[in-house]
Amino acid sequence: MDQNAPRKVALIANCLLNQNAKVCQGAHYRGVVSPVVEALRRRGYLLQQLPCPELAFAGVRRWWAVYEQYDTPAYRDHCRRLAQAIAPLIEEYLRRGDEVILIGLDGSPSTGVRFTSSAPDWGGRPNRPQDDWQIVPHRGIWIEELEAELARRGLPPLPATGWALDMGRFDEAGSRRDLEEFLDRREIAAGSHGENPADP
Amino acid sequence: MSDDARGWRIALVPDALINAPARASPASPDVLGVLEQNGYGVLQLPPPGEHRRLLAVIADQVAEYAHHGYAVVALGVRGEAGDGLHWRRLAPLLRRRGVTLPPRHIIRPDLDAGAEGQRLAAFLTGYDLPLEEQRRWRV
Repeated sequence: MDQNAPRKVALIANCLLNQNAKVCQGAHYRGVVSPVVEALRRRGYLLQQLPCPELAFAGVRRWWAVYEQYDTPAYRDHCRRLAQAIAPLIEEYLRRGDEVILIGLDGSPSTGVRFTSSAPDWGGRPNRPQDDWQIVPHRGIWIEELEAELARRGLPPLPATGWALDMGRFDEAGSRRDLEEFLDRREIAAGSHGENPADP
Repeated sequence: MSDDARGWRIALVPDALINAPARASPASPDVLGVLEQNGYGVLQLPPPGEHRRLLAVIADQVAEYAHHGYAVVALGVRGEAGDGLHWRRLAPLLRRRGVTLPPRHIIRPDLDAGAEGQRLAAFLTGYDLPLEEQRRWRV
């Protein structure tokens, strides 16, 4: 393969390679989320893992939380710092002509792409009954700050979707179908079925 | 955490091992596959180059795991600068955060990929924290 040929790069949420980053009771896999890795690798994507903002901020023993609880200046500053740490790598990919996509974690207050979790009244002693938060169509805070940092650098918006792990009840087959549809639509749009010599 | 599937074990993995197929090294074992089979999570290290801030962010995450009952190992690859682990920069960052340096396993792309895969699997299977530490945290 030509060293300078454009590549396909998928930025992926930290916990898609490392479920230990999840809040307690949030891990659905031991470590690697293999359906995501398989879907991306089969289509020739390189993987670039993003840092986990919640783990580095509130720790591995943090409580569950929703978008509104993380929406503070201190947390946004922290996310900006992480974005500044990873943005040079992303910029390098884009400047050399690579196709870069983003796979977040839908339903997450931080890493949601299509959906995040919302409950404006959460707070205080953590004794909420099950399922009393809303899933709303909105970015998580980390994704908002990452996209803002890329925009500040004059980089184009990245095509993005989320693996729907944090949507209340996890439906692996549905999540896989969603992700594969997203990836296949891109392949068709890029005309990579025999039309683009740069693709493997 | 009874309905939580986490494996409590994490490997630091060079970019060259995660993205090996595209980097035309068919001789390397499928490291991500072996990690997945052994229930390890992955923290990816950046490709060669200056990644000072990103390495500090990674060191913060390793410290958080190491201080709360997670087993952390590092996989290197012979032939890459610093074994692909940015070790000269990463090791002091870890020490400064009070982290005992994780055991390192070095993969040799010049050897048979099948045998290297088995050697890696044996290393991963055999490593974990002492039982006492596991019981303290993993409830």
